[in-house]
Amino acid sequence: MSAAHKKVQTVKARADLALNDEFLRKAVRFTTERLRNGKKKATEEHGNWEEWRERGRQIRLHTIAHLDYYLNLFVNNARANGVHVHFANTAEEAVKLTLDIAEHAGAKSVVKSKSMVSEELHLNHALESIGVEAVETDLGEYIIQLAGEMPSHIVIPAIHKNRYQIADLLSKEAGYTLPPDTTALAGFVRKKLREKFLEAEIGMTGCNFAIAETGSMVLFENEGNARMVSTVPKTQITLMGMERIIPSWSDLEVMATLLPRSATGQKLTMYMSGITGPRRPEDADGPDEMHIIIIDNGRSLQLGDPEFQELLNCIRCGACLNACPVYRHIGGHAYGSTYSGPIGAVLTPSLNKNIAEWDDVANASSLCGACYEACPVKIPLHDMLVYLRRRKVESGNGNKLESIGMQGFATIMGNSSRLGGMLRLGKLGQKLVVRSGVIKTKLGPLKGWNTYRVTPSLPKESFRDRWETLDQELKQGLKQMDSSMQNRMEELVRKREQEQKEGKGGHGHG
Amino acid sequence: MADTHKQWLEKLEAESRAKQELFMNDIAAKLRHPRMYEKPQHPFRGAPDFWKAFEWSEDERVKEFTDNFLSVGGHVARLQTMDEAKQFIVDKAEEMSAKYVVRQNQPELTALDLEGSLTDSQVSVWNTDPEQYWRARAAEADFGIVMADHAVAYTGSVTVLSAENKGRSVSLLPAVLIIIIPIERLKTRLGEVLVTFDEAGRGQLPAGIHFISGPSRSSDIENDLTIGVHGPGIVYALLVG
Repeated sequence: MSAAHKKVQTVKARADLALNDEFLRKAVRFTTERLRNGKKKATEEHGNWEEWRERGRQIRLHTIAHLDYYLNLFVNNARANGVHVHFANTAEEAVKLTLDIAEHAGAKSVVKSKSMVSEELHLNHALESIGVEAVETDLGEYIIQLAGEMPSHIVIPAIHKNRYQIADLLSKEAGYTLPPDTTALAGFVRKKLREKFLEAEIGMTGCNFAIAETGSMVLFENEGNARMVSTVPKTQITLMGMERIIPSWSDLEVMATLLPRSATGQKLTMYMSGITGPRRPEDADGPDEMHIIIIDNGRSLQLGDPEFQELLNCIRCGACLNACPVYRHIGGHAYGSTYSGPIGAVLTPSLNKNIAEWDDVANASSLCGACYEACPVKIPLHDMLVYLRRRKVESGNGNKLESIGMQGFATIMGNSSRLGGMLRLGKLGQKLVVRSGVIKTKLGPLKGWNTYRVTPSLPKESFRDRWETLDQELKQGLKQMDSSMQNRMEELVRKREQEQKEGKGGHGHG
Repeated sequence: MADTHKQWLEKLEAESRAKQELFMNDIAAKLRHPRMYEKPQHPFRGAPDFWKAFEWSEDERVKEFTDNFLSVGGHVARLQTMDEAKQFIVDKAEEMSAKYVVRQNQPELTALDLEGSLTDSQVSVWNTDPEQYWRARAAEADFGIVMADHAVAYTGSVTVLSAENKGRSVSLLPAVLIIIIPIERLKTRLGEVLVTFDEAGRGQLPAGIHFISGPSRSSDIENDLTIGVHGPGIVYALLVG
């Protein structure tokens, strides 16, 4: 969990651990499959998905391009609603503000609903350091809090735990043995957390969207805990990434169409709440005092950067995780950061502005583009991964061996006689390692590849060796083409062109 | 803490206002444009046009709402009159032996005289006694009874707005939630409800606007669906009229 821990290991080392965890792999595959199929079904049923994606992208692009206007409008409106708005440039400032509010509220405990921003800040630890108990109330988050771990999936945080492990964790908390039965376990959590909701002085939420024109904040959830946290305690603190803004409630319809369908395949989450300020004086519930902390923490670094600005369009649905062939194999913890999957691989180094330290997460991708296809606001994540890799090399943090290798490759490939010489050398050299036509040795640079595959040997006669003969044969063959055959082919081409002019037949593949 | 709470909040606000300018100036500088004070043209506001033209007939709305609500584990009853709604609630309370009932202080619910009819239950009416700790009354309740302000067929959702006479807790803390939806409040699309908040404007919005699309649920343990994790596990939508 700690920074030290993640520096010791690389993504590759963590992924090796994950690949050896049979349960984790199965659970991740099963869950991502379920969510992905849910999304597929929901988007097909809804129809015109591309138009909705494009609309979502346009709204996000527009808002981010005018963020100074919309964020300022949101802040002024939220203040007019009676909200205490604060700004934090860094995670440390946000933590300091939160602790200050907690101390002034005389808080002994804080109940929290799921918030990725709060994970960014490592807030629970900070609250505990001043003697305030922080309780995660989302069922999955509560489980991983008891286990002292990080979420492994943005939507289903405890994806990596089985019911027996969960029963053990909750039994320890209960002081008696709970059966490994989902209903019983959830029932225990409901009862336990009910007490926490009613006791806590502060409720803490994240923010899915903030509506600029009315200063409202919007939460999507299924359990009801975000409603609890924002209804029962006397003080509410909302942590909000500075880019969460949308202009209006009308725009929310587009986000509400894209987010739940992309995240879980639902038409809408069980609860969608729009909160506009603290309780009115005559209301009998809702918080007396409401704070919104607007957090930068590296986000503004993307503004004005043509390669990465669209990163701020992200609506945190997790669809790219479920679509990613790498994530589906190694799970979230292998990324070693708050955000995992393709979005995490780009967001983490971008927010931290220290590409060198996080370089290897950008390599945890096959650049297949499935993340882009899945993204409801069309963020070109696969392009961004390439940009990151390029920046890493440009900043002098590339792999030295790789650079030398690439230079060598260029030298050899740049000259045909040099290449020929190398190939002849290779043919001689490989005699030491070829067994029944293939190379299986895991020595030196072949280790990575040959662990799961075999390397083919160089053939006795290569394409290059045969080229001269082939070239002559081809030239002769073309000259000798039968004239009737040539006529037939030309006739076919004319006919096709005619058909295309008349609008018949498709383009290309016929 | 030498300062009073109010002084402390004022101090924070002064700091916040000073920082707001720096924050916005920094954003504008990074976006490489001068600070924007005029509302920009927003040609993509809201749903695509083809969607805004989409509308179902009342029968379709009832059918779609019902299908959606049932599909997530909610219950729906189609009733003709408020008297039938009353009978439904009285029967359910008896069937499930509801001890504590809390209802919103809305005139339509007052007219049902549940207090007089639910003889075996203790019925509290939200926020009618300033001495009560109303959140606890809602938390202990078996039944919460509310009138819907809006409903949406396409997503199978009900909207409830908070007010002096309408607590947020009433639709959240009880084990069973009963929502009465007058049929004319059932719309086709989510946008038909959302646009009313744009039209009303900031000053007219309640503190809490809640869309409820079924019982509380979670799949956090081994993807196994659990109903009633924090909010009501049993939800009845009564379509009336």
